Amino acid sequence: MRRTAPQNPTDYLPITFPTLMLGVFFVIPFGLMVMVSFFKRVQGGFYEPSFTLANYARFLSPFFAEMLVFSLGLAALVSICCLCLGVPFTYRLTRLSRRAQVLWLIGLLGVLSLSEVIIGFAWSTLLSRTAGLSNLFVWLGLMDKPVAWTPSFAAVLTGLVYQAFPYTVLVLYPAFSRLDPSLMEAARTLGASPVRGFLNVVLPAMRKTLLATFIIVFIFALGAYLLPQILGRPQHWTLSVLVTDQAIYQSNMPFAAAMAVFLVFASLVLVAISGQINRRGGGS
Amino acid sequence: MAGLALTDVSKRFGSVSAVDGVSLTVPEGTFVCLLGPSGCGKTTLMRMIAGLEDPTSGEIALNGERLNDIPAHKRDLGMVFQSLALFPHLSVGENIAYPLAIRGRSKVDIGARVNELLDMVQLPGVADRSITQLSGGQRQRVAIARALAVSPRLFLLDEPLSALDAKLREAMQVELRQLQQRLGITTIVVTHDQREAMSMSDEIVVMSAGRIQQMAPPIDMYRKPANPFVADFLGQANLLMLRGVHGGAECSAGLISDLDLPAGETRQISVRPEDVAVAPGDAGPIKAKVSFVREMGATIEIHLTAGSERIIAATSPKAHPDCRIGDEVSVTIPAEACVVFDKQEA
Amino acid sequence: MTKDNRSTFSRRSFLAASTAGVSMLAMPSVLRAQDRSIKVGVYGGYFKDSFDKHIFPKFTEETGIAVESVAEPTGEAWLVQLEQAARAGAAPADLSMMSQVAMLKGQSTELWAPIDMSKITNAGDVLPQFLNKYPDGRVAGVGAVAWYINLVSNTEAYPEAPESWALMWDPANEGKLGLLALVSNSFLLEVTAKTFFGGTGILDTEEGILKVMDKLAELKPNVQLWYRDEAQFEQALKSGEIPMGQYYHDVTGLAAADGFPVRSTFPKEGGILDSGCWALSRASDKVDEAHVFIDFMTRPEMQSLMSLKVGTAPTLKRDVLALTDEEFASVSSSIDPIVPRYDLYTSKADWLNQKWTELIVG
Repeated sequence: MRRTAPQNPTDYLPITFPTLMLGVFFVIPFGLMVMVSFFKRVQGGFYEPSFTLANYARFLSPFFAEMLVFSLGLAALVSICCLCLGVPFTYRLTRLSRRAQVLWLIGLLGVLSLSEVIIGFAWSTLLSRTAGLSNLFVWLGLMDKPVAWTPSFAAVLTGLVYQAFPYTVLVLYPAFSRLDPSLMEAARTLGASPVRGFLNVVLPAMRKTLLATFIIVFIFALGAYLLPQILGRPQHWTLSVLVTDQAIYQSNMPFAAAMAVFLVFASLVLVAISGQINRRGGGS
Repeated sequence: MAGLALTDVSKRFGSVSAVDGVSLTVPEGTFVCLLGPSGCGKTTLMRMIAGLEDPTSGEIALNGERLNDIPAHKRDLGMVFQSLALFPHLSVGENIAYPLAIRGRSKVDIGARVNELLDMVQLPGVADRSITQLSGGQRQRVAIARALAVSPRLFLLDEPLSALDAKLREAMQVELRQLQQRLGITTIVVTHDQREAMSMSDEIVVMSAGRIQQMAPPIDMYRKPANPFVADFLGQANLLMLRGVHGGAECSAGLISDLDLPAGETRQISVRPEDVAVAPGDAGPIKAKVSFVREMGATIEIHLTAGSERIIAATSPKAHPDCRIGDEVSVTIPAEACVVFDKQEA
Repeated sequence: MTKDNRSTFSRRSFLAASTAGVSMLAMPSVLRAQDRSIKVGVYGGYFKDSFDKHIFPKFTEETGIAVESVAEPTGEAWLVQLEQAARAGAAPADLSMMSQVAMLKGQSTELWAPIDMSKITNAGDVLPQFLNKYPDGRVAGVGAVAWYINLVSNTEAYPEAPESWALMWDPANEGKLGLLALVSNSFLLEVTAKTFFGGTGILDTEEGILKVMDKLAELKPNVQLWYRDEAQFEQALKSGEIPMGQYYHDVTGLAAADGFPVRSTFPKEGGILDSGCWALSRASDKVDEAHVFIDFMTRPEMQSLMSLKVGTAPTLKRDVLALTDEEFASVSSSIDPIVPRYDLYTSKADWLNQKWTELIVG
């Protein structure tokens, strides 16, 4: 493979197309969004170009601060749950036969193909009083009468974890497949029980992958706006739900853009912080 | 009894028999090499000793204690893996300290022991380095130090030197042997390199197709291979088909006199190249033609065609008979240098 | 982006959600090649399907004017498109069915071309609340269809039909209600004002609105679901998971006709009467055709036909319609309706939205 830096304009040709696409479909829209976030909202109309910080000022209130904290907290919790389930799952998965692994991965891809709407409705039915799982528990004699588990925080969390779980596994899978199985075996011959070896050899050896997965799932969960509406009460709505409200129902694009910019900014800061932590941890 | 004892140990993976009825005794303090081609079951056998695989049948015992039902992490063995399996997130010192920390030793004890072990493998003062800062040979030593940290009852090494270059490997073979002799620890090494096995071990166990072919001290095995497979796998061997005649045994190109074979019976024999004598002219008992000459510095190999047989002779350069490709020569094989195999082995 | 579209579709779209994809938007379906034609925007999904099937063919047959029907999203997206197109002198649709809030916003920028009521035969029969006028008296829009949002209940959970919106505040109904999540589509401020404060006049001042909101806050423990997606509540209502709430009278009627244990009741304080207007973009050059269309649509027999086929409430006086009492009752009621204060949602939009969100989220 060639490793020299591009010498003349034609050397840049292969990356022209991706760059163009990135520019057209990501950089320009994002730039427009930042621009609109400084525009003036015209109540009863739309917006007009100007430069105002009013949209950001409106955001800086205890109400939205609480909302932001809740959204970040929820996303972090989803990430943690996904890792707690996904890591042991993926570790076991990579130790199955090739055929079993393929079948599991196809199943997970199947879940990925479900839209957020379908996932939301499926869980709201599963957790409902009239048709949900609690009826099964009543039938098994574990509960006295069926109850509604949705809407609730637990339902939102369950739905989001369910939706993000395939992503978690697919991100973890390549790294766990490459993991030298003799690391775990070495830990065992050195006196570590399987659980202990997993916790203090496999996990630390994978910490960069774990952090990367955490960030991906975190950002994924931060963008969720349908599941919190379908499975949660208003107090479980995330900032993304409000962004949607403002953009679609209130046609307040400047404020929606300001909130979205804030959300992007907050996640970037978190990613930067975790990157720093990782670098410090890996350096010694 | 002291030492490791395997009794009729088998391991099947589905319909494949990886290890097939192996019985083996390794007395305490001996250095044993499990030698064989890839897929012969030697690594599976070692993994069963370590507890990383469960035998399908048979018993494994160490110093009289049955190991079968003891999980790997409670067997108190030290093992060096082919990939070394050093923990990438820990420093050199932390790697070596790992088994000690698990056993709850105090920080002071651990520190002292780590330094002692690093001195032992001749790597003083690298405890704080990261694994990635070490060379291949240094990592090898760290893996050995870590495996020996808790003074295990048994020291297992799975192809430990295969990743090193030839020169370093030779040096490590010597060092490993010296270390083992100093510690007096029962050691088992899995290898496919017969030179490695020859140079290090007290006893060699040659395996093929899941079974033990022969177990013997290296030189005995070299001199007296139990079957053609062992003869061929351990060093070079000329395998000839001979027929018993009056006064000796004959092959298609001549006679080996005084070799006692029942008259009229055909047997396979093995003779080492260095025992084959080559002389110019056609005065000897076996007539042959030189097909190739290979000068290797310390020795010269002469490849010969004798009737339908192909024979390799090895001599020192000093005794080198002046022969070229195409020369007619006579070959002498002394009867006492021949190993005659049983009929069924032929 | 497909998910977004689902949300923006809201009103009526869900009935045909499976068929109404993104591709349907702004994709005109030409009925017959004619010399004269008009592009008409109607809500995508159920409305557009019904109009394409029952209404437009009749119009073309009678007037010789071809109709290109355009599926429009509800809410403000269509308004924004019309507004921006008009600035460029184009009209993605000549006539559009517009919600009341969108009408008012369009009026503020003179987006709507005035309608000459003298060309409309039945102008005098259109109920006054369905005529949108500019401050100077010009007509900006003529009522197209109306619909009720009523108090609905599951007949198994509530054998007796509820009679009053006040029942929603009954502590016995804790965790039983499903209500619309947005201030501008639930009209719960008007409901609360009419039920507890003698009318929507109290909403004239911010002070009054806050008072109404305080009363509304008492309702929160009873609300199990604040919904944006209509299908979610409809499903829960049918199964009895959420046995009471506010919902569309016509759709509930359809569900009941299909055998589901649901009913829609006109409470004694009145149902919420929401409506859509025909409005003509100022960029359109089909002014004549538009008047012919509006004239056609305001005929009593067409209003009756829509009530029967589409399930909407008529925008004409009761006495000019040929509907039987039973037919009329199925789409409307003689009880004085709660008419939404659309003006609030333009003049105080952001303030109301902020207070409302704090009210239900807090």
